[in-house]
Amino acid sequence: MSTNNIVEELKKNIAYFQKEVEREEVGKVIEVGDGIARISGLTKCQAGEMLEFPGDVFGLALNLEEETVGSVLLGDFEHIKEGDMVKRTNKILSVPVGEQLIGRVVNSLGVAIDGGKDIKTTAFYPIEKIAPGVMTREPVAVPMQTGIKAIDAMIPIGRGQRELIIGDRQTGKTAVAIDTIINQKGKDMICVYVAIGQKESKIARIVAKLKEAGAMDYTIVVVAGASSPAALSYIAPYAGVAMAEYFMDKGKDVLCVYDDLSKQAWAYREISLLLRRPPGREAYPGDVFYLHSRLLERACRRNKESGGGSITALPIIETQASDVTAYIPTNVISITDGQIFLETDLFYRGIRPALNVGISVSRVGGAAQIKPMKKVAGKLKLAMAQFREMEAFAQFASDLDPETKKQIERGQRITELLKQPQYQPVAVENQVVGIFAVNNGYFDNVAVKNISEAEKKLTDFMNKSKRSLLDKIAAGEWDEKIETELKESCNEFLKV
Amino acid sequence: MRKKSNLQFAKALYEVTKDLSKSHLPETIKQFVLILQKNNKLKKADYIIEEFINYSKKQGGIKMVEITTARKLDNSILNKLKKIFGEKSEITEVINKNLLGGIKIKVDDLVYDASLKLQLKNLREKIIS
Repeated sequence: MSTNNIVEELKKNIAYFQKEVEREEVGKVIEVGDGIARISGLTKCQAGEMLEFPGDVFGLALNLEEETVGSVLLGDFEHIKEGDMVKRTNKILSVPVGEQLIGRVVNSLGVAIDGGKDIKTTAFYPIEKIAPGVMTREPVAVPMQTGIKAIDAMIPIGRGQRELIIGDRQTGKTAVAIDTIINQKGKDMICVYVAIGQKESKIARIVAKLKEAGAMDYTIVVVAGASSPAALSYIAPYAGVAMAEYFMDKGKDVLCVYDDLSKQAWAYREISLLLRRPPGREAYPGDVFYLHSRLLERACRRNKESGGGSITALPIIETQASDVTAYIPTNVISITDGQIFLETDLFYRGIRPALNVGISVSRVGGAAQIKPMKKVAGKLKLAMAQFREMEAFAQFASDLDPETKKQIERGQRITELLKQPQYQPVAVENQVVGIFAVNNGYFDNVAVKNISEAEKKLTDFMNKSKRSLLDKIAAGEWDEKIETELKESCNEFLKV
Repeated sequence: MRKKSNLQFAKALYEVTKDLSKSHLPETIKQFVLILQKNNKLKKADYIIEEFINYSKKQGGIKMVEITTARKLDNSILNKLKKIFGEKSEITEVINKNLLGGIKIKVDDLVYDASLKLQLKNLREKIIS
């Protein structure tokens, strides 16, 4: 386009510019403080509508009362004072969505906070949306590999599932989620990591780690840090899932991590109490269950006719002193399709990820496991259950019959095998081989403390000389022929 | 029970006094002040009076009109505007240089913005996008 063209274009634009009289509804601030504003007027205001305050600050209308509107302020509110004009925007609170967000760190309103250039998207999605209905859904059938041996083998997660990660502080909840994101590399997944009420230093560390692992190429990080107002923490997961929905509408599979929802519930409690909603149990408002259920219902797997795509949700809940009977943990446990339990005891005993296999479950993921994994890991869970029982019993008995002793030794080896360092996800075919080897007694002659080393050697050996077999397993093939081939490979490895 | 708002007091006062004869008025007001005292609302009296004035105007069909312009308006234009809004409306004029030109009219809770500033802003957004 030449300069003249541009000038012409501009002239045309200006010539055709229509003068418009804008009609606005305004109200007046009658009370402001603690991030809450009460506004008089605005008689036609909708629930969840964005309100414009002076100085480009937006608010979210939450309480619609007879004479006033109660709203939370999304941003700096120091300069807002009594008597200020508030405009209606006629828009339900929306966030920008689109490919431009990938690889970026944004706040709950979709504004870049990573120091990069402004994000300009054409599409906006409302943060509150009704979840897909029954007719548009499909059962979970495709696995979402976490790359964590213990989880993929015993608590499998499918695409479209909602799996809760629950545990005390410092038990590696975030580590499980981050490893899962790292493992999605090359699996055609988009990841959204929503950090709610986290220390900014922790977020910076996570982002650096994701960058290092090359995971930021398919990840959006939504941050409502510990220093941001409660309102932003409250809307952060909804903003994250709205961004995810854009990709689902494009037919893609998305993974959403909410880290963590207990802090979001705290933020919502704060807002509710300031808005003078009546407090209930643990001072949470009456609709705190709905707060999480409407969010997690938006995770789904849609059928082809409705456009396909899925959103897998990994909410995280932090318990206090392992108390899972508190209000928020019980709520979220009942909403999700299973939970991954992490325990301090196990963590300090060196079993990391500190997964409690006994009480962790996945209610729908079993259908999504690949066939080889289903075959080899079926035995695993049983062996672990027997081992735990025997172990407790064997602590008092000095001599055991050979059968029991064998089971205990097998259990110790499995436990050792399932240990895994952070940021090192394992491919599913290698998981299958490792579990197959220990289950069939190929590691029985290896000392327990050398198991992980032996597994590493086995993995190297298989990757080097049996690639075609691994590819078959990864593709989900499993028959007697493959099993014998695997047995032969293990024997071959033992000789080397 | 929830605290009563200033507006509720103002409304109550309006309802009670609207059909009252002049002779009963002092006694009613006295009673009202006593109620305020009982509810610890005396220090809010100023706000209640303000709400009362607004509310009675609204009930009487009086519109609060605020006209903002960049320069002082001609009397002829002002008279025309007055005719549009009817005799009953209360018109206040505000001069705000920031508008650059045009006019901005606020009627109760509605703002009609036909200022040059807004037009320029819209034009800018249109050219950018």
